[in-house]
Amino acid sequence: MDAFALKRRALTVAAVVLLVCGAWQTGQGAYIHVKAQLAQVLIQRAWHRTLAGEREVRPWPWADTWPVARLVMAEPDVDVFVLAGANGRTLAFGPGHRFGTPLPGEGGNSVVGGHRDTHLAFLRDVHTGAVARVQRQDGAWTSYRVEGTRILDKRDTWVMANDGASRLTLVTCYPFDALRAGGPLRYVVLASAL
Amino acid sequence: MNKRAAMLSGRAGWASFGYALIAAVIVFAIAIANPLPADDGAAESQGADSQGADSQGADSQGADSQVARSGAAPDLCAMQVRDFARPETHRCGDGEETVAAVALNATGEMRPSQATAGTLLFRSGSGRDGIPAPLLDTDVVIRVSGMVARAQVRQTFRNPYNDWHEGIYVFPLPENAAVDRLKMRIGERVVEGAIRERVQAKKEYEQARQNGQRAALLEQERPNIFTSSVANTGPREDIVIEIEYQQALRYDSGRFSLRFPMVVAPRYIPGNALPSPSHAIDVARAELIHGEEGASPDPTVGRGWARNTNQVPDASRITPPVQRPEDGALNPVSIRVELDAGMPVARVVSSYHAINQRKVDERSQVIELRSGVTPANRDFALHWEPVKGTAPRTAWFTEKRGDATYGLLMVMPPAAEKRVKRIPREVIFVIDTSGSMSGTSIEQARLALQLAIERIDRKDRFNVIEFNSNARKLFPDALPADSDNREVARRWVGNLQAQGGTEMARALDLALDGQTHPDRVRQVVFLTDAAVGNEEPLLAMLSERLGDSRLFTVGIGSAPNGYFMTKAAQVGRGTFTYIGNVEEVQEKMGELFGKLESPVLKNLRIDWPRDAVVETWPARIPDLYVGEPIVVTAALSPGAAGERARGDARVSGLRGDEQWESKVSVQRDTGSEGVAALWARDKIDALMDAKLDGADGEQTRELVTAVALEHRLVTKYTSLVAVDRTPARPKSEGMRSSTIPTNLPAGWNYDAVFGSAIAGELPQGATDSRFNLLLGGVLLLAGLMLLAAQRSAGRMSAARVRAQVRVGPVLASRGRLVSTSSRWTLSL
Repeated sequence: MDAFALKRRALTVAAVVLLVCGAWQTGQGAYIHVKAQLAQVLIQRAWHRTLAGEREVRPWPWADTWPVARLVMAEPDVDVFVLAGANGRTLAFGPGHRFGTPLPGEGGNSVVGGHRDTHLAFLRDVHTGAVARVQRQDGAWTSYRVEGTRILDKRDTWVMANDGASRLTLVTCYPFDALRAGGPLRYVVLASAL
Repeated sequence: MNKRAAMLSGRAGWASFGYALIAAVIVFAIAIANPLPADDGAAESQGADSQGADSQGADSQGADSQVARSGAAPDLCAMQVRDFARPETHRCGDGEETVAAVALNATGEMRPSQATAGTLLFRSGSGRDGIPAPLLDTDVVIRVSGMVARAQVRQTFRNPYNDWHEGIYVFPLPENAAVDRLKMRIGERVVEGAIRERVQAKKEYEQARQNGQRAALLEQERPNIFTSSVANTGPREDIVIEIEYQQALRYDSGRFSLRFPMVVAPRYIPGNALPSPSHAIDVARAELIHGEEGASPDPTVGRGWARNTNQVPDASRITPPVQRPEDGALNPVSIRVELDAGMPVARVVSSYHAINQRKVDERSQVIELRSGVTPANRDFALHWEPVKGTAPRTAWFTEKRGDATYGLLMVMPPAAEKRVKRIPREVIFVIDTSGSMSGTSIEQARLALQLAIERIDRKDRFNVIEFNSNARKLFPDALPADSDNREVARRWVGNLQAQGGTEMARALDLALDGQTHPDRVRQVVFLTDAAVGNEEPLLAMLSERLGDSRLFTVGIGSAPNGYFMTKAAQVGRGTFTYIGNVEEVQEKMGELFGKLESPVLKNLRIDWPRDAVVETWPARIPDLYVGEPIVVTAALSPGAAGERARGDARVSGLRGDEQWESKVSVQRDTGSEGVAALWARDKIDALMDAKLDGADGEQTRELVTAVALEHRLVTKYTSLVAVDRTPARPKSEGMRSSTIPTNLPAGWNYDAVFGSAIAGELPQGATDSRFNLLLGGVLLLAGLMLLAAQRSAGRMSAARVRAQVRVGPVLASRGRLVSTSSRWTLSL
């Protein structure tokens, strides 16, 4: 094979590799969003069964989480289901309730985390005074009024402290437009029960 | 001919354009993959011109990976290690790797993601937050002679940067280590450390630090957690500190064991944060510390990831930053054990590390790690057994210091001869299901517990308690261990998941009732890694609520908290064992059950020859379980030392209703170095125990300080400090100060600890989707442009070539490598 053919071949290989990698990366990025949306549909079904009295209803058979609350806001328009556990695996499918804090609507400081680019992207449009409504597993609704927002370091765990007051604390990553995950800052919305 | 040459050069032009394009794309991709943290501008610009040596791992194939010393070849790849992204987002098949080499040449950077499986990279301690820390190497030499070990731990603080650094390293030592020596080496010079009261030592260190003098400080946070600080390490300079300690070895069930912990596991910090304006985090953020600013002399102020709380007032001192495991391994350790067992050795076993043994003679060996160095991420455990029939039944060692003579006495009682009347038992199993147990630990714990449940006699009763942020019982009350109840329990245990906090107090509250149970023996078996920061309040609670129950601790995982394990077993009048991997479960639980089922030897006392003894520690000898020896240290009265020659010590005890007695000659003087330190360590231990039981804190501090200063021991109240006389750092230059990050213990799950334990971090809430989409778009665009270029080049050559291209792209998907060997046929 002469040098010319080799070069052509190398170019083709390079082009194919670039295309494959590009498609893979694009797919990966899109997959995150598709998964996030699709999961909420399945979780909605699980939530209806939860309201009907079942407990720890897994949205799909191999799930290791289940819906524990529904979060609704009018402005911005939000309707999401909160899952048990705020670890990375859970957060791919919905905002997650931080294990060890009281469940939303149960009194005390409930902590819910979520992704800034999927389910909790709306937090950047949440302003002081906005009202969030939370439905518990028994169907009862609790309303929270947003008291303020804070940008904190991930080590500032004091916002998760439970002082007995009935509060809802929503946590997501900051800045909202950062390209990569894993930064040290968090955007926290603090709300108190009405 | 001419035409053809022109065509060729034209093609060559296109090709080089193509390559240049690829290179540009990759450089761009790397640039966006590695954004400079916006809030860290100063640090970054500083880092950019400092030549942070990225440590290099020797590339090796297979599981038996060879490990290169951190920074062994610092100039191979001089770069500032920044925020490392997770590897899977970068692995892009062979294509990227080869092309990335272009980027490497162009920018002088190397991507850590190029590390293939099996490669172990030790890298600079620059954490996610981008604060560069000195590198740390540890070399350990442990000389074992009989029942005693003398260890030297050399910590090398390497400053690969072009500015002055202070490094702070939080590290573990065995919980019974009597640390009595600190030396600082700067090149050829050696500065010997002096023992001081803790506050005074800190002041001296602080003074030296501000004067620009090189200085080292060694403090104790817990009996098994220490902090070393080394100030004014010059640009590209190494400072070595040598720490020495003495330790009595464990002898149990005919086996000697030596345990060297390597990493302080992330601890759960319960309680409410204390308001503290000068908190550590603020100190840590004020990165560049100039001479006039100083750290607080308050011994509770540290720079860890946790804030001090009402339950753990020094939390910030015991929570060093933890590197995500996928970002590589840190802090290489080499270990050499020079074993002189004092009797013929049948076999030597290292539980968790591959070792090389070199036999000197039948009782002596030299043991080293087969891999040379290992990342500091799990305990090193070495066991040896004497040749059958040569195991010692008694031992007596002495050391003279000044007027006083100190002795160590070991007596191994014989095994019980007849079985005693069976007393009904009630066994309460407690299993830790907190986030720190997530990963391999919970598997070991579940398996151990299921085995234990199988083993209970059906005439006995049992219950199971699990705890994380809360504690819950399986049955409201202990039930008979019939096959139905056991099956229910086995299934319940099999489904346990590890997540959340470690509220151990709630579990103790459920497991202990403070009552006496005359009709039965009540035994609590506690399976945990004890990754908590509030050991003292827990031990105090345990002591208060124990009643006549007995507590047996089973230390789970790669880096259990040895202080809590041994102390809880002592306070709980039980015993302890360790399980570090699934293979050990059967054997270790079998041994534990042997102890649970055999009668204890109690009412133990030692009658020394008249007038010979001043003080024996522990003052009250604990009950012994099968396989355990009596070990005490004693200070002999100076006057009697000469006449002591006439004496035998009489050791006696009661097993069931059977009296046991043994006589040991304590005449010899063996001149064994270090016995005095062991005695002092035992005394301090006893004084600290008294504090748990309510002794006055201030008085304890005074008593402990007096003993510690006399014997040069590092304690909670005393530290070793070494200061070089001549200032090294010019006043005009500042010094950076940083805490050296640690590894996550092997087998742990980072997200389960920092993602769900309350005291860890706020939840992380972002994905890489934006990055994926952007990078994907750029790559697609580049690929299309290349194809277009190719096509027009093809048209110029006026030849249609059918190219069969075989590509084996390795697609990384969700961290798992998927290899597709499909054939791509392209018609161009």
